[in-house]
Amino acid sequence: MMSPIQCAQFERMLEEQPDGPLSASVTAHLQGCIECRVLWSDMEAIRAAGLEWGKEEVEPPEYLWSSLRRQLESEGLIRERPTQRGWFSAWFGAAPRWTLAGASVSLLLIGAMLAGYQVSERRSAAVLPVRLSISAATPKLVAADIGKTLDGDMKRVFDSLPEGNPVLASSLRENLGIVDNLIADCEKSVREQPDDPMARDYLYGAYEQKAVLLAAATDRSALEGQ
Amino acid sequence: MVRTRPTEVRELSEAEAIQRAQQGDAEAFERIYRLHNRRVYALCLRMVGNTAEAEDLTQEAFLQLFRKIGTFRGESAFSTWLHRLAVNVVLMRLRKKTLAATSLDEATEPDEDAGGPRKDIGGPDLRLSGSVDRVNLERAVEQLPPGYRSIFVLHDVQGYEHNEIAVIMNCSIGNSKSQLHKARMRLRELLQEAERSRAREERQAAKGSSGGGD
Repeated sequence: MMSPIQCAQFERMLEEQPDGPLSASVTAHLQGCIECRVLWSDMEAIRAAGLEWGKEEVEPPEYLWSSLRRQLESEGLIRERPTQRGWFSAWFGAAPRWTLAGASVSLLLIGAMLAGYQVSERRSAAVLPVRLSISAATPKLVAADIGKTLDGDMKRVFDSLPEGNPVLASSLRENLGIVDNLIADCEKSVREQPDDPMARDYLYGAYEQKAVLLAAATDRSALEGQ
Repeated sequence: MVRTRPTEVRELSEAEAIQRAQQGDAEAFERIYRLHNRRVYALCLRMVGNTAEAEDLTQEAFLQLFRKIGTFRGESAFSTWLHRLAVNVVLMRLRKKTLAATSLDEATEPDEDAGGPRKDIGGPDLRLSGSVDRVNLERAVEQLPPGYRSIFVLHDVQGYEHNEIAVIMNCSIGNSKSQLHKARMRLRELLQEAERSRAREERQAAKGSSGGGD
């Protein structure tokens, strides 16, 4: 036979099993005790209200992610995946500070050289001496070949520069020195970490920079010689 | 033409995102944020009842998560880990606000004088009339001590089970159940008080309108 429980036992049961289930003896007690029945009913009402509240969708504002991301970036916790970046941004992102300055000077030089002349049909003939393919899979031998080719081409460009423009020659030498320093730095990184694809990316980026400088100098040389 | 790699089209799974976030991958961080931001924000908002503060706490919780993500080894569910962080962030803030540097046990088990649940239970005249008004519930929850508030919001509002709450709150399952019961009892008292003051105001308004007419 089921033994009846008292109010104190019901309260203890609620503390141990706040969501039930109600045993037969508890159900029997509730039928006979209005205070405990009301208490149970109120607990159920509060639980149901909480459940309803939880169903409401709340959306954090979109700017929260931007703000969080800025904070993460400022702490250096996140970075873009290198494979998603172009060689140029990858290069500038990790190269020493002097590289950035050197590259800027190079671009200014190129801009200055091109700005003074009409771009004629013949310019298109002055193509890059080498067409670089930025790939981590490019064999090391090809990298060395690119370097040699660029050096040879640059010597020919210097030889062909008109003697009457020493300022141009000096500026070109200065910028070439900066790019060569960068190449030396990147070659050192590749020697130290031959299997690091990012190091090799930077090296090809540096070669490409030299190639751009060479192309601009070739153009200028051709135009000066006319 | 921009080529898109297959991995960039398919959304990362949580496990992949965690692995990549541990290497500092920005895309993975955002994926983790998008997967959990609503739940964390809802938790913070319901705990503090203020959108600006909830935003601040959400950001703080994710910041702490991302600072520590390298240490996550997968022994517990990631969401439980995150919510534990979030609850701790909120509790820290609430404790600072009340200037009471109390332990979790002290916060969840206030004595009678500090507003804990009284043993006497309401008579038939104090019954909550079968349903609870949402605005009143929110106000009452705001008046709960932080520990009670956390348990109630986690269980009754956010839908966590007691075993999850035990991990999040670093307590036993039995303690989680007991605290939930006490939280509901305290809420009941607060709701009854709100009901009483509403009834009092109505009586006064009725008295004023019947005796003040000219």
